[in-house]
Amino acid sequence: MRTHVFRLLVLLGAGFAAALVAKWYFTAESFYEFGHYRGRSVAEIAAHEPVYKTSAYCQACHGERHAQWSAANHKTVACEVCHGPAQKHPQEGKLPIPADTRRLCTLCHEHMAERPRTQPQIDLAQHGAGQQCAACHNPHAPKLAGVVPALSGDLAAGKKRHAESCAGCHGAEGISPNDTWPNLAGQNATYLVRILGAYRSGAQTDVMMSPVAQALSEAEIQNLAAYYAGLSCKSAVCAKAPGDGAAGKVLAKNCAACHGETGIGSNPAWPDIAAQKAVYLANTLKAFRAGLRKDPMMAGVVRGLSDADIANLAAYYAAQSCGKKS
Amino acid sequence: MKREAIGGLLARRRFLRKLGVAGAALAVGATKKEPAAARQSFPTADYDWTKHRWAFGVDATKCIGCLRCVEGCKAENDVPLTAHHFRTWVERYVYLEGENRPRIDSHADPVNIAASGSQREYRFANRYKDAKIEKAFFVPKLCNQCEHPPCVQVCPVGATYKAKDGVVLIDHDYCIGCRYCVQACPYGARFFNEEKGVTEKCTWCYQRITRGLQPACVEVCPVGARVFGDLNDKQSPISLFIRNNRVHVLKPETGNAPNVFYVGLDKEVS
Repeated sequence: MRTHVFRLLVLLGAGFAAALVAKWYFTAESFYEFGHYRGRSVAEIAAHEPVYKTSAYCQACHGERHAQWSAANHKTVACEVCHGPAQKHPQEGKLPIPADTRRLCTLCHEHMAERPRTQPQIDLAQHGAGQQCAACHNPHAPKLAGVVPALSGDLAAGKKRHAESCAGCHGAEGISPNDTWPNLAGQNATYLVRILGAYRSGAQTDVMMSPVAQALSEAEIQNLAAYYAGLSCKSAVCAKAPGDGAAGKVLAKNCAACHGETGIGSNPAWPDIAAQKAVYLANTLKAFRAGLRKDPMMAGVVRGLSDADIANLAAYYAAQSCGKKS
Repeated sequence: MKREAIGGLLARRRFLRKLGVAGAALAVGATKKEPAAARQSFPTADYDWTKHRWAFGVDATKCIGCLRCVEGCKAENDVPLTAHHFRTWVERYVYLEGENRPRIDSHADPVNIAASGSQREYRFANRYKDAKIEKAFFVPKLCNQCEHPPCVQVCPVGATYKAKDGVVLIDHDYCIGCRYCVQACPYGARFFNEEKGVTEKCTWCYQRITRGLQPACVEVCPVGARVFGDLNDKQSPISLFIRNNRVHVLKPETGNAPNVFYVGLDKEVS
């Protein structure tokens, strides 16, 4: 073989060998394992730690809240949609409770023609008067219990039953003689029916009220409600309450959407609280806060209230005039 | 006609690939490849990627445009918190009376950024409140994890590939940031992460689905507009979704064969 041809072949061979070595050296270990890519990268991508833990993770500690949520119509909205991903919870602190619910809830519920008609939507300008959504709606069970049942009470029968069972505590004219028991005169009949029904069924319990209510029939409850609703509340006399009414007025903004600015609400399923007994109001709020009274709306509202806040609120509402709404 | 042409192209591609593989085998002889059969389960001990065939469903008739999916995806996948980097997004199509083309916007539209007040949070502005709307709807979008992904074809370094369970993944250690794949994707599903110098896209939350969880966007969707599951399981949500609905894919004419199936698409959506 000619020398120059031999040299050329050696050079080519050396180049080929160098290329092979270079390829072996520069190719990542698992590169051709499954194809033209680094096989190990699949495991690396799969090894990232998930950030969202799912609602089942929340259930372990927040069982009661989880039960309430999963029974209501927000059950398709996972915990972490509103509270954020739970990867670092509880190790690195609490998850946020959204403060601006008017902003959060409208992400889904602001009325837009683009949204499917089946989606519950509100016109922001006409709904809630600028209130936070959570003021009336419990985010975990958002549907309001505002269904108004038909009332068919007999006033005379109600008055008779009142004299037999109720007047002893709630006063002959439905104005209670002490500060712990509520006035009933002028109260919304629908609310009275609902609350007496709750005592009767055991959904709400009270040492005094439970046995009394359990002795009532459905018709008697209707009669009583109609009777009290027809009484005048004008004679309500309020003792000086310990709270600061002016401070209560500021807090009462959170209650106004349902109970009205001065405690006269728009929905007869909710109680009027203007000129109600201050001690009774405070006790009731504390019972909601402690979970002794169960109501999805009230539970959310009272959660952040201190004892002082409650006293202020009670003082404010007790001092309002209970004149009937126009 | 068109479909046949694509079929012919794909067949030719397969044939050439076989030729190339045979030629390479002849030239190089035995390679250093290890038999993968020794391995029990890959990529993790509890997850075998040969046993799954993932697919995704979107019911556009249910979407309310709340954009929880976009925010959820960002939190789950460490996506840059700017309006213009996203792995999934939602488009709003609005046909106004007297107009024959829809107006289309997404969370990245300046009006919607202004409505949310920041680039880290997203919401659709109620900008058509007083307009006369003939028809309007939302369409969620994400990577289609195509059967024949053009993005994988153009990658010069083998940094993106189709995993055996159907998901198209990106090897961020190997990506050189050339952005060919961003150009190649006909759906605009990929974006370039300037901070990391690599391309990113939806992986159907590979870290979640390999653990038996749902992708984050499916997890947080409040109305069930997003459906995910395994086509190998005939009772999985996605199998039922495809069986019980007339489904459609985006840009079927490209021959990419997407694996995201839509219900309720309108004629203008692509």
